[in-house]
Amino acid sequence: MKVSLFVTCIGDRFYAEASADAVRLLRSLDVEVDFPMGQTCCGQPAWNSGHLPEARRMAEHTLAVLKDAEYVVLPSGSCAAMLRCTYPHLLGRRELSDRSYELAQFIVDILGVHELGRGLEGRRLAYHHGCHALRELGVREQPEQLLRSGGAELVPWEMDQECCGFGGLFSVKTPEVSTAMADRKLDTLPAAETIVSADGGCLLQLESRARYRGLNLEFRSLASTLWEARRGSP
Amino acid sequence: MNREAEGGAGARDRILARIREANGSRETVEHPGTLPAGLEPPVAYGGQRPDPVDALEDRLSAAGGRVVRLSGPDSARRWLEEFAQEFASVSICEGVPELLCPSLPNAQPEQAGLGVSMAVGAAAQTGSLLLSSTEGRRSQLLPPTHLVWVRAQDVHATLGAALEARMGDLPAALALHSGPSKSADIGRIIVTGVHGPGRLVAAVLEESGDW
Amino acid sequence: MEVHSRDYAKRARAILRDTPGVREAVTAATRSFDDHRRSAFAELDGEALRDWAEGVKSHALTHLDRYLEQAESRLMERGAHVHWAETAEDVHRILRELVEREGVRRAVKAKSMLSEEVGVNPLLEAEGVEVFETDLGEYIIQLLGEPPSHIVGPAIHRSLEDTQALFSERLGTATDASPEELAGAARGILREAFLAADLGISGGNFLVAETGSIALIENEGNIRMSTSLPRVHVALVGIEKILPRLADLSTFLQVTSKSATGQPVGTFVSIIQGPGGSRGGEPDGPEELHVVLVDNGRTRLLADPEAWEALRCVRCGACLNICPVYRQTGGHAYGYVYSGPIGAVISPGLVSLEETFPLPFASSLCGACAEVCPVRIPIPHLLHTWRERAVEQGLTEGTARSLMKGWSRAATHPRLFDWIERAMAVLPDGISRRLPMLRDWTRGRSLPRATGPTFREIWKDGIE
Repeated sequence: MKVSLFVTCIGDRFYAEASADAVRLLRSLDVEVDFPMGQTCCGQPAWNSGHLPEARRMAEHTLAVLKDAEYVVLPSGSCAAMLRCTYPHLLGRRELSDRSYELAQFIVDILGVHELGRGLEGRRLAYHHGCHALRELGVREQPEQLLRSGGAELVPWEMDQECCGFGGLFSVKTPEVSTAMADRKLDTLPAAETIVSADGGCLLQLESRARYRGLNLEFRSLASTLWEARRGSP
Repeated sequence: MNREAEGGAGARDRILARIREANGSRETVEHPGTLPAGLEPPVAYGGQRPDPVDALEDRLSAAGGRVVRLSGPDSARRWLEEFAQEFASVSICEGVPELLCPSLPNAQPEQAGLGVSMAVGAAAQTGSLLLSSTEGRRSQLLPPTHLVWVRAQDVHATLGAALEARMGDLPAALALHSGPSKSADIGRIIVTGVHGPGRLVAAVLEESGDW
Repeated sequence: MEVHSRDYAKRARAILRDTPGVREAVTAATRSFDDHRRSAFAELDGEALRDWAEGVKSHALTHLDRYLEQAESRLMERGAHVHWAETAEDVHRILRELVEREGVRRAVKAKSMLSEEVGVNPLLEAEGVEVFETDLGEYIIQLLGEPPSHIVGPAIHRSLEDTQALFSERLGTATDASPEELAGAARGILREAFLAADLGISGGNFLVAETGSIALIENEGNIRMSTSLPRVHVALVGIEKILPRLADLSTFLQVTSKSATGQPVGTFVSIIQGPGGSRGGEPDGPEELHVVLVDNGRTRLLADPEAWEALRCVRCGACLNICPVYRQTGGHAYGYVYSGPIGAVISPGLVSLEETFPLPFASSLCGACAEVCPVRIPIPHLLHTWRERAVEQGLTEGTARSLMKGWSRAATHPRLFDWIERAMAVLPDGISRRLPMLRDWTRGRSLPRATGPTFREIWKDGIE
């Protein structure tokens, strides 16, 4: 099986190693990974802020770059939702949408893999569900299942499905509300060593706020954590 | 005509014209029809006791009301006499049968300790007693305790059925009372008896017949 | 009501900075509302019920003219007076004439968002009428001179301590009075007002075309009293409140109550068909019933090919309760009577996008609201629609526009894009902090770490 990886702009810049882990993980599952070099940003920042022509241009560009892909896999729930759910609305056609998946969604739903390995034995993790993965893609069980099967304990977090406050431009237009939202997440966090999420935007938001407040927490991408689960296996 | 004419008729026509224009090219939506029985919110509280009177008792109790079930005129009379002892005066709605009126001095609704009314129906689904304005509203509202007589045969399973039964004979105001007056507006702490009666007692007359 | 929505960001900041208790109170109250809603919907087929409710409201809206005429006829047959108001000024004129003709001195008001919208209290007060808000929460905010902070719980932003201090100062209660004592003090004052008032003003949750019924849901009994005790009752009803049949009402009463507070139905429901008293041939009740059908921007919203769906709103507040943005500030930040997600999509339609401009942007687009709306208003979609229009109309800031233009240019030129991504790693923090967007980001957040190679560079080197 062959997939084209779409790392997204945040993945390329802020989570480069995590994106590389996504490649390692997929290869370890006998998936051939291709990286079309022309890829850039899916257009979500423009779409979210109401800049339709710009969003459309970026979407068309992405479509052109990924047109030959058998599957597109994104280590980002939010951008996967952009390709799967927003592109049809934005462009009036579905050509890439039905072939695009968030990483955990692809592993469980398409590859049919439910266990990666036991490399997370003894780890206490808190999982943050990104809003778009959860509510647009309907991805809820897949990441939790893979983490648990890796041996991790997922701590119950009553706010695990509440928005972190990122929201793209929202985070800089109303920074006080945005950080208050992040605080609500951080202040209700049970004892866990690491917060894991499939979304780079959410991780940037939560980590930046936690560091500002001097909180000693580790933030980790789902891709890297899943690779850890896999790598640790015999 | 009660349509207020001055300037009003013009406003009416202009509003209706704007509505027609707004809806002009819009596809009309069909009414989805009567709510399928399977979609009705459950009648029985917590999935237990499906009998309408049982369910009414459970729902109303859960909302802070009290339900008394009385088998016949004698037991009703006996219970009423004892119940009435804690009150000094009463305000009784028109239409409450003589037998069901406590022997207490009558007082104005705003002074009486107890108000007594006769429900025109009830809905188990929501724990609601249906009260008609034709019997007078003040005695239903102003005394701090409200005793409502309900005939078991008037207790419907669903709110829809209870309202439908009144459809041909709607008073100026039909009211549903589904518990004691309450508010959580002060610090989210529930306080009862804020404006309306702080105690609601539904006395269900289980034996059918003439009361 | 005056519109202060343009200051959303400033107002939100001030609330979080100056009155941190508001965030705690609002979060606690909305979470509690939402927990109750969740339990209530757990015992039924919520999704199918929402489909049905959506269908009924959409049907009513697409036949609105016919149903309004039907409701009007029914009401007139029962001896009610029916008025039509195109604007807030029309409502004012109708009320002014009534006040003069009936010699109204004192009015009791049952909670009505529409009366806030059209500014009933200032008008009546200017006419020399003493006005009492009788819902306990409304009474609290009337004493404070504040607008409601929430559709269902107008004073949810106030703690017990706040109300103890307020009532102690204004009503002379003890500084440590219990909620019962505080409610008792308000009850005493308002009971007198009920008995002495000439006019009762209410809103209307629903208007049933088939029977001409105005339905009102509440928990305290103040609405029943406001609509039963004074000689004249005026009901202000938005034209979108129509339900076709009485059979629809029984379900809508339940769906609305469950969505608002999780109750099977509100403690008291009034279903009003006409005047009572001697006019209605009844022992008591108002001699006159005036129903004011209010447009005030609703036909404009109806004409909107996208946003008309927001007129299905039943004002349950479920979208406010689940909204993580609303939970931080409460309703006052939004600067208009309708706040939270639904406020952000109806206010631009009712008032204008210009005056309420940043409200559609007061959302992280998390989508939680869409999952709880009992009539399936596509709130996130409508937020998008208003955002697109705001951009088209040039209402947004130039910086954001230039940034998006620049970004889309970069994103369609991979080599430029690559260069920018790499440049971020070498940009000194001191400079980053001064860049337009990052400057705001660092208000309360550290700079994100953009060190090391980009993925593109790693890929080129080969991944082991």
